[in-house]
Amino acid sequence: MEAIILDHVGKTFSCGKRAVDSVSLSLEEGEVFGFLGPNGAGKTTTVKLLNGMLMPTEGTCKVFDMDPAEEPEKVHACSGVVTEHAQMYDTMTGLQNLVFYGTVFGLNAAESEKRGRQLLKQMELEEAADRKLSTYSTGMRQRLSLARALVHEPRILFLDEPTSGLDPESARNVHVMIRRLAEEKGITVFLCTHQLRYAQEICTRYGLMDQGRLLAEGTLEDFRKKQGSGITVEIEADGMPEGLACRRITPVRFEVRVRTREEIPEIVQRILTAGKRIYHISSCQPSLEDIYFALTKNGKENREEKEL
Amino acid sequence: MNTQMLAVIKKDLRGITSNRRMVITLLIVPLVMTVFLPTVFVFIPYLAPEQGEDFRGMVEMLPLAETGEGMHKSMIRLILNYILPVFFLIIPIMSSCVMSASSFVGEKEKRTLETLLYSPLSVKQIFTAKVMASLLLSMSVSLLSFLAMLVVLETETWLITGSIVMPDGKWLIIMLLVAPAVSLTAITLTVRVSARAKSVEDAQQGAAFLLMPVVLLLAGQFMGILLVSAWLLILVGILCALCGIWLLKKSMYGFQYEALL
Repeated sequence: MEAIILDHVGKTFSCGKRAVDSVSLSLEEGEVFGFLGPNGAGKTTTVKLLNGMLMPTEGTCKVFDMDPAEEPEKVHACSGVVTEHAQMYDTMTGLQNLVFYGTVFGLNAAESEKRGRQLLKQMELEEAADRKLSTYSTGMRQRLSLARALVHEPRILFLDEPTSGLDPESARNVHVMIRRLAEEKGITVFLCTHQLRYAQEICTRYGLMDQGRLLAEGTLEDFRKKQGSGITVEIEADGMPEGLACRRITPVRFEVRVRTREEIPEIVQRILTAGKRIYHISSCQPSLEDIYFALTKNGKENREEKEL
Repeated sequence: MNTQMLAVIKKDLRGITSNRRMVITLLIVPLVMTVFLPTVFVFIPYLAPEQGEDFRGMVEMLPLAETGEGMHKSMIRLILNYILPVFFLIIPIMSSCVMSASSFVGEKEKRTLETLLYSPLSVKQIFTAKVMASLLLSMSVSLLSFLAMLVVLETETWLITGSIVMPDGKWLIIMLLVAPAVSLTAITLTVRVSARAKSVEDAQQGAAFLLMPVVLLLAGQFMGILLVSAWLLILVGILCALCGIWLLKKSMYGFQYEALL
């Protein structure tokens, strides 16, 4: 079953700003989808559209076959949302917050407390359970927000910059937790982030947004194929044979671009046959970050061309 | 009313009662109005005999039912049944304004409103729960103030005159109909103002205008007593209740997620 369907969804605010421009995509249940883009790309607006907080000005969206614009409460009942602006009560303890949200999501007090304690343990916040939220650090608040979003065992999680403001270690811990949740519980995750390195580690598929438009959508492999950028092989040798297309980085370091891995042994063979000595060889494929910057740069250039 | 809405009501009430500053704000005005001012009125003939004469003149002009009782007791009856009831319009308005002003805009300021809106409660249910919490609080404060006023006033009357003065039947109409109805109207208007206000202070200032008609009525009561019959009081109460319910329904339909965020 498809967890999310966006069909030519657009959102123009009353001030005239077009935040989302005809975005179409679909997510299968259990996917961890990375929704990437710079600030102001339209990621948060899309999350709000998918939760019925905003009404689309065109197109339709569905979450588990429910229209958030028509039945927002039903969508909320099966989804958990973590955004920078969705905070909890500072005057209540971590556990009291979870019990409150558990009750609001329809669990009884005993169930909420049991579930709350379970999640606090899972998020390594057991010791802070009875401390007021005002004493929590940013990282602890973020983990508690994740616990809050999970209190009613949702089928889908909308995470909008869940690691914003966190130090690298806390950010890594949150990402590890998200990956674990997706693997162990099969929860669909819609992750909005601009932390591309972590996104590459945990997401199964990506959508790249810029200026309200969906620039590309697919897996990392799809992007690499579309980009046709192939593999970059870095070789440290005392020379290169004649006719081998390469770029000299230093007198003894060269960069060769190949389309597939199978071409690498052939290149090594050619270097050795030419009587050169190899000291080091490594290959790397373009990262999500490389592809992201290439795509956003292309998008910008295309827009500039159109404007001209 | 379901358990989810009850959880929001409980949370809102706990939010107020756990905030010492808020509790003091809520209690100070009712205490002044129901304990301090009645005590001053009761002791006026002793503390300022000249002002006592003015009161005496006023009492003589009024068709007070009981005759043959002492002038002092008549004055206390006048205070209890004609002046103090107006305070019980101010107390529910004030206490409901304090709570409801912070209900939406307070949550918006603390960035907790969005989290609540992502719950399976509809925005109408959240609105209703917040109105109910404010109504419960204002009615509790009013009732406690009434009891405190009765205990203090009757004790003082007994000490001075050797007997007590019973509150008349209109108090029942005020406490059970007029005060809740006025409170409901005030809450709905304040919540509407607070949802659009930028800060709690903004919302409270907006809500303070609601007190204007009651303050004018109070000033009128001090300058010359307005005699209100029980039937007129019931009519005013019903009109206020209808107005409150109409405003509540109107406000509910105007509430959309997009307008609140």
